[in-house]
Amino acid sequence: MVEQAATIRNGVVSELEASAPAATLLSEREFQDLYRLHGRALWGYLYRLTNNAADADDLLQDSFCRLLATPLATRDDAQLRAYLFRIASNASIDHWRRAGRADRRAASPPEAAADTADAAALRHDMARTFRELKPQERVLLWLAHVEGTEHREIAQALGVKAASVPVMLFRARRKLAGLLKQKGLDPGER
Amino acid sequence: MLDRICDKQPSLLEAAAAGHETDPAVVDHLAECPACREAVEAVCWMRRMAETTTESHALPNADVIWWKAQLLRRWEAERRAAAPIERMHKAELFAGLASLVGFVVWQWSGLTRTLSSLSPARLVSWSAQTTTGGASGDASSAVLLFGSLFLGAMILAGVHRMLADK
Repeated sequence: MVEQAATIRNGVVSELEASAPAATLLSEREFQDLYRLHGRALWGYLYRLTNNAADADDLLQDSFCRLLATPLATRDDAQLRAYLFRIASNASIDHWRRAGRADRRAASPPEAAADTADAAALRHDMARTFRELKPQERVLLWLAHVEGTEHREIAQALGVKAASVPVMLFRARRKLAGLLKQKGLDPGER
Repeated sequence: MLDRICDKQPSLLEAAAAGHETDPAVVDHLAECPACREAVEAVCWMRRMAETTTESHALPNADVIWWKAQLLRRWEAERRAAAPIERMHKAELFAGLASLVGFVVWQWSGLTRTLSSLSPARLVSWSAQTTTGGASGDASSAVLLFGSLFLGAMILAGVHRMLADK
């Protein structure tokens, strides 16, 4: 069991996992519930990180497979969600490393987009702007400001020191603010 | 550039993440503090982006993910179960190689003598002696030589199998 947990990247091995005495694998029902609750949000996160629907699908499957291979000491929904997002962050970073410059790949939108032209244009602008950040900056900003993940957990997910996270976040926010200003997307310009 | 972090920034970022950036206290501070304004704009933008819908995309089937995870777990279990056998293959190879080296070192003088006197006529005479059961120094040299060759061939076959497995 310990060996199995260790196959997950070091950054993700935590107190939730096999070291705890009552750690067990998720049952099929628990997995189905978790997938129904968080699958969509996780896919949205992965899609915004990769800007590619097929990659987001692959990473979603990969993240849940990693979760299902790991004995877990908790069934707390919030903890599992945070853990799942950390696994997904790691999986996406692994994916970028494997793919080299992933951003060179063409973006593929989610199929059958049924929203208005304005919404589609807004989403396109946002996706384009977000893509100009480094993968690590995207993960940082999302985990910190959308998921509300603690700095300690972000540090574990990214494999950096917890003390570095505020500085990295500060820089990423400034870079994003600069991009928004440059593209006229900040509220002051609109 | 705005290089300082305002003391109020952590609480303002929390408010922005929760959608309270229009609260009067927040608005007042943002009007005076460009550093906080910049940071809050970035956080609000992140929140708005997270709110843009991706509902139209069909998620991968949960049953397929469950099945795939079970399959991966089974493969992992099989790999772990087969690991001692793999290690034994390597140990076998290493033991074979060590015995060949030991054997060659131990019988070095006999082997060099046999190899230096090797000729087709001699091979025929060894063959005749071994089939008729005649015992002589020549016959033992032949056994020595063929034994070494056999051992070497076994090791080569082992290496080949290992490489083929990989």
